Amino acid sequence: MSQVSRRSLLQLMGATAMATGVLGGTTLAAFADDSELVIGGSLPLTGVFGFAGVAIEKAMQDYAKIINDQGGIAGRKVRLAYEDTAYKPDTSVAVFNKLTSQNDIHLYYGDSTAFAKTISLELARADRILMGGASFATELNDPVKHPNIFIPGPDYSEMFSILLEHIAREKPGAKVVFVCSDSEFGRDPIEPGAARAKALGLDMGDVIITPPGSVDVSTEVLKLRRARPDYVIFHGYIKAPLPEFMSQAKQLGLETKFMGTFWSMDSSIWDDVGDVADGFMGIMPYRYYYDTEPAPMLDKIREMRGEYQATGYMQGMISAMILLESAKRVLEDGQELTGKNLKAAMNTIKDFDTGGIIGVPFSMAGNSIPVGRVYQYSAAEKKMNPVSDWINVGG
Amino acid sequence: MNDDLLFFTEVTLAGLGSGALLALTALAFVLIYKATRVINLAVSEILMLGGYLFFTFAASLSLPWWGALPLAILGGGAVGAIVERGLIRPMLGESAISVFMVTVGLGSVLVGLVEAFWGTDPKSLPNFIANTPVFFGEAYVSRKILVAFIAATVVIGIFLILFRFWRGGVALRATASDQAAAYSCGINVPGVFSIAWIIGCATAAGAGVLLGAIGGISPVMGVFGLSALVVVIVGGLDSLLGALVGGLALGVIQAWVSSFLGGEYVSPITFGILILTLVIRPYGLFGTHEIERL
Repeated sequence: MSQVSRRSLLQLMGATAMATGVLGGTTLAAFADDSELVIGGSLPLTGVFGFAGVAIEKAMQDYAKIINDQGGIAGRKVRLAYEDTAYKPDTSVAVFNKLTSQNDIHLYYGDSTAFAKTISLELARADRILMGGASFATELNDPVKHPNIFIPGPDYSEMFSILLEHIAREKPGAKVVFVCSDSEFGRDPIEPGAARAKALGLDMGDVIITPPGSVDVSTEVLKLRRARPDYVIFHGYIKAPLPEFMSQAKQLGLETKFMGTFWSMDSSIWDDVGDVADGFMGIMPYRYYYDTEPAPMLDKIREMRGEYQATGYMQGMISAMILLESAKRVLEDGQELTGKNLKAAMNTIKDFDTGGIIGVPFSMAGNSIPVGRVYQYSAAEKKMNPVSDWINVGG
Repeated sequence: MNDDLLFFTEVTLAGLGSGALLALTALAFVLIYKATRVINLAVSEILMLGGYLFFTFAASLSLPWWGALPLAILGGGAVGAIVERGLIRPMLGESAISVFMVTVGLGSVLVGLVEAFWGTDPKSLPNFIANTPVFFGEAYVSRKILVAFIAATVVIGIFLILFRFWRGGVALRATASDQAAAYSCGINVPGVFSIAWIIGCATAAGAGVLLGAIGGISPVMGVFGLSALVVVIVGGLDSLLGALVGGLALGVIQAWVSSFLGGEYVSPITFGILILTLVIRPYGLFGTHEIERL
């Protein structure tokens, strides 16, 4: 075996490093493709949020098709590049790193609050990407702290504000109790919600925190029986343990009205619950697939997909719409697709018409769309019906 | 009864009910560990699978609950048999951590299969337990929780009797104490392993049906198994009585903590109890104190 001297080894390493640099540079240059716009995605296609991820992916694909059929964005075809994260932040970050190193990505969809908070600094540092996502966390609604992120609807505190405004209009001075899961998600709107309730002249009762993963809620229902609130707002859950909560409360003769936030509002998750779910209310930032009010984009969706599409679908559609509208404004102004330019373009969105998915034109001065409407579930119709006008809680 | 005493009584009864569910799930861990010395972390996912099997038989195939329930339990047992014969028995003689990791992997596989077959949406089971409340005097108890309590105590009671008097139960205890000695006495040790896995997994599937009846089913409902693991460690990994007492005690403590301190204190106190037990009595309250001699 021939001996390799230290000098020749160093030469070999140096040459390898140079070759890698050159090839790497070639790769970097090669993936900057002006013929397409890639929306990257860390999507939760499996796991606890899988039900939403699947719907979001479908919506983003559909919107990309709609745009591509119209000729794309400034002549660029839209393409999705995504991978499943199983709703795990470390996987989301790994997917982000992989996708952004393989594609020229300026638009991104993130799957969770944890991922958004983790990647926010990197987004600001790299200044290449505008990111929306599945999170409505109040903390993300801070343009200074999270300059490259937006929320495709009201944040959780704004959702509480919308519900509380509805309560204050329906029953002034009503007693309200919050029931929240013991998680970052669940605790998010408690303090601002309680402050808002007081400001609206409502009687703010207890805040009941349920332990993570709790199934039986008997003890919490007993607390509720003592408090006897007019309204309960649930937050931090998708479905369980809400049906059991409402069932036991009805058994005890409570006449409390129950409300939820966006991720509990898909009507299909209530279909198999039956009468217990009848009358359940909540905040929806978007129209439902089956809404009958005039909405050309809903007509288009119904034409593309003949069966019911979940609320996650509408969220994904609005996210793609905002991402691509921002990119369109940047490209039409002849600017470079940087994070700052994209965000600035997004903030110029004023009185924007979503084709009826959001029932009123909206503006995006900050990181969120502070608009929503209260819907109520009808067990007989297996539908959510609107019970309020569109409420805007933006400044 | 004054209001505060009534509230305390109701909270305690609710705690006993949810504790019974913990005990039933803990029983699945104990049965398998007792015979095979394997901590089967996939019990949580078999519990979830039991809920989905019941859903399929009762909702999709429209069988009555009394037909769907035994089928779901049998399904859980069948999974236990397949897993023991296909995955665990070939691992005999391997280190405990290797077998433990197989069960961790099995859990992920089961979650993936459930998501593939039934989707990721949370679902509700057909209502087979009446919703009308039960009152002991003035004290309210949810009927579902009462049913869970009765089912869990009856099942654990049956197992306690079987282990004491049934030939198979004695064989299982003999295998648990000394496998080589059990072999030499003519006990079919691999058969005992299979039986333990079948019964353990069937119990977990049954617990999954009860749990699903209360909170609905979803691919992540197996998280409940983690609380049951605390019960097992506190009660003693190889003690049926430990599972019952530990489950009921933890259920009551969690109910008290949730009601009088707040739900946010439940996890710290639960896992605080776990740590304290491991420090003071590492073999659990009722577990076998094994002395290892070098």
